[in-house]
Amino acid sequence: MTHALSVQGLKKSFGGVPVLRDVSFDVDPGSITVLAGENGAGKSTLFKIISGQLSPDAGHVQLHGTALEAAHPRAARALGVGIVPQELAPYSDLSIAENLFVGRELRTAGFLLKRGAMRSRTASMLAEFGIDLDPSTPMKNLSVALTQIVEIIKATSSGASVLLLDEPTSSIAETEVERLYDIVRSLRARGVAMLYTTHRMAEIQAIADRVVTLRDGHLVLDEAVDDVTPSDIVTSMIGRELGQLFPDIAAPSQVTRLKVNGLRVRPSNNPIDLQVHAGEVLGIGGLVGAGRSSLLKALFGAQKTTAGQLVVDGQALPAKLTPSAAIAAGMAFVPEDRKGEGLALGLTLEENFSLPRPDLSSSGGVTRTRKRRAIARGLADKVQLRYRHMSQPAETLSGGNQQKIVIGRWLADEPKVLLLDEPTRGVDVGARGELYRIIASLAESGLAVVLVSSDMPELIGMSHRVCVMSGGNITGELSRAELDAPDAQAKIFAFASGDHTEEQATSPAPTAKDSSS
Amino acid sequence: MTVDQPTTLRRRFSEISPKDLIIRNVMVIVLVLVICYFTYRSARFATADNVLTILVAAAPFALVAIGQTLVILTGGIDLSVGSVIAASAMSAAYVSVRNPDQLWLAPVAAIGIGLVCGLINGLVVSALKVPPFVATLGMMTAASGLAYVIGNGAPINGLPSGYGAFANTAFMGLTIPVILMILGFVIIWFVLKRTTFGLHVYAVGGNANAASLAGVRTGRTLIGVYLLSGALAGVSGLMISSRVISGAPSLGQGYELDAIAAVVIGGASLFGGRGSVWGTLLGLLLIQTLNNGLDILVVPAYWQSIIKGALIVAAVALDVWASRRGRR
Repeated sequence: MTHALSVQGLKKSFGGVPVLRDVSFDVDPGSITVLAGENGAGKSTLFKIISGQLSPDAGHVQLHGTALEAAHPRAARALGVGIVPQELAPYSDLSIAENLFVGRELRTAGFLLKRGAMRSRTASMLAEFGIDLDPSTPMKNLSVALTQIVEIIKATSSGASVLLLDEPTSSIAETEVERLYDIVRSLRARGVAMLYTTHRMAEIQAIADRVVTLRDGHLVLDEAVDDVTPSDIVTSMIGRELGQLFPDIAAPSQVTRLKVNGLRVRPSNNPIDLQVHAGEVLGIGGLVGAGRSSLLKALFGAQKTTAGQLVVDGQALPAKLTPSAAIAAGMAFVPEDRKGEGLALGLTLEENFSLPRPDLSSSGGVTRTRKRRAIARGLADKVQLRYRHMSQPAETLSGGNQQKIVIGRWLADEPKVLLLDEPTRGVDVGARGELYRIIASLAESGLAVVLVSSDMPELIGMSHRVCVMSGGNITGELSRAELDAPDAQAKIFAFASGDHTEEQATSPAPTAKDSSS
Repeated sequence: MTVDQPTTLRRRFSEISPKDLIIRNVMVIVLVLVICYFTYRSARFATADNVLTILVAAAPFALVAIGQTLVILTGGIDLSVGSVIAASAMSAAYVSVRNPDQLWLAPVAAIGIGLVCGLINGLVVSALKVPPFVATLGMMTAASGLAYVIGNGAPINGLPSGYGAFANTAFMGLTIPVILMILGFVIIWFVLKRTTFGLHVYAVGGNANAASLAGVRTGRTLIGVYLLSGALAGVSGLMISSRVISGAPSLGQGYELDAIAAVVIGGASLFGGRGSVWGTLLGLLLIQTLNNGLDILVVPAYWQSIIKGALIVAAVALDVWASRRGRR
């Protein structure tokens, strides 16, 4: 039988640096192949070659036995390749129907849109996948998962038989992942061949038929998923045994570093009281939209609040807090959206490192370049950054390494409180372990860490204590002992979905009561 | 500007990727080609006198182009500089006619008007969040109106002869505007490369959200660049009116477009975060060399506009092409 996709002897280098070295594998119709590999292993380059955005230096790509001749997206599309990129770019003010038909609108007389026909076609396409949505809903009203699903439908409805999915679950809430799996499985039943990238082991086992691993541009593993264990896959990705992913973190001290009194982000919310001790990692769980990011931003002065007071090391922070005042008080913040809020990607590594505290490497506003470089190099070492030189733009680094800058730049001067919002999203497993060790060692050095995460193992593995949020309120708290219990995940889910009523609803903010000192 | 280049350039080049080298050189190559062409066509072009002529003509443009570079680096644009030139020239002329013995009032008035206009621009952009294009478009119209109001709709003549000293006094063969131009480039290069403010300018243009979450006071940075742009336009206005020893409300018309063209030719991104004053200097020299060379070749003025327009677009297209090649 002909393979839906066959890749033979692909080689590609950029500026003399090989990114793909002789990669060959096949994907059969009606199958899901997970393409595993750390950031920078060559996955994106491979996707770009298959979808015709880049031409290989050697080797070729065949689709259903036909070679992809020209490196042009249109040529690849004509041969049935569809791609759903990681960073979705929908026309957010246009409707679902309009998004689905952009570029291939149904027309009469050559230029008049058949809006009704497009809407009804859209409705039937959505219905096929069991999605009940009005086709005229604007895209911006959809969740990330639904946006992703619409993109997938768009790619397959235009006749794609080979679908490339680039980390489709990286920004989807845990509860919505199943919905995406259903879509992917129903596409498999229809004979679509899928090549799928992900950093989540659970996901590989849930949906993959085969696993192909790239490491440093080499193909190092190509097996049916039933023939390999998760640790085989991880080992193939990072080239060594992973060891323990979550480091042991010493017990926190009794010294309160951050105290939150009666904080209200919105007037309708219950006031939030929190205490975080020196050396403590406080996890904050909950679903996307539960108000976790707003809470973190409020703690950092980047989100307006209607009431409440923050105290760091016994010193009350000003009521009208700004990020610069929060930084002056010793707070550090790693935002959720690395590209949109974390880094200035066009600036150099050195500049990004010095951004929060330029005063440390300047006198009278004039930068002392040698000192700045020395500080930046020291920080890079501290977070084990992999880079070529300090004046390369931040956009040239992989996601995990970019995240190390966003964390590392706060360490120039000893911060007191570290606020982390989804610090390992889109970061591969090897770099993830390094980030965890960095966070652990920062906590052990006496920082108070607040960790917002949608990744359950991370939340449970890294936190001394977890507060769960729902609808802007803290709905529950789990101690370390409760986190070690087998039902921890179920408990967190129950608090997050607001189902857990009997014992908790009586006290609006049952937080930090156990450790009030 | 060639004095200390070898060492700084060598040090910089060692850290620069090949891509940047190509980008930087494309515009240098274009400039060299244009110079070669004019040198070949006219013996009068490559003379010391003519080089000085080019610099003198370039100076008032240079000052506003430097300000424009800062604004564009933050992702904004300042359309008002041409009108601010007119308003500050008129106010300088106005105070000088009335106080012929106190000529120091002229620069105070010119720069003061520039600062006020810049402050308003900066506040409207940073506090009211009006897009810079609209905010400075409004200022462009208002400042032009102010220029006519000051002169009651007419030019101001009969200025004391000392008024010409601002533009025409020379030290070591260089007139004050030329010296200010050179100082301006050096100082702003230093500010952008070596100061916290400069870093903040790039950070705000590169990613305003991220900058603000890293503790950068983005509002202050924006007000700062519009203030500088306004002040430099004020200085430019004084220089222009001093050169002709009169104030006319039509002075400076269209300067904003030449300034923007110079910045863009210099490789800056209109979305902010990318560019440099050296790029602006190259763009400025290219435009001024074209003006001068086409004059020498006695090309009719209207044709000059067409040629200049086409060359500006061609130069930027070449730059885009080169940076794409650089990325592969």
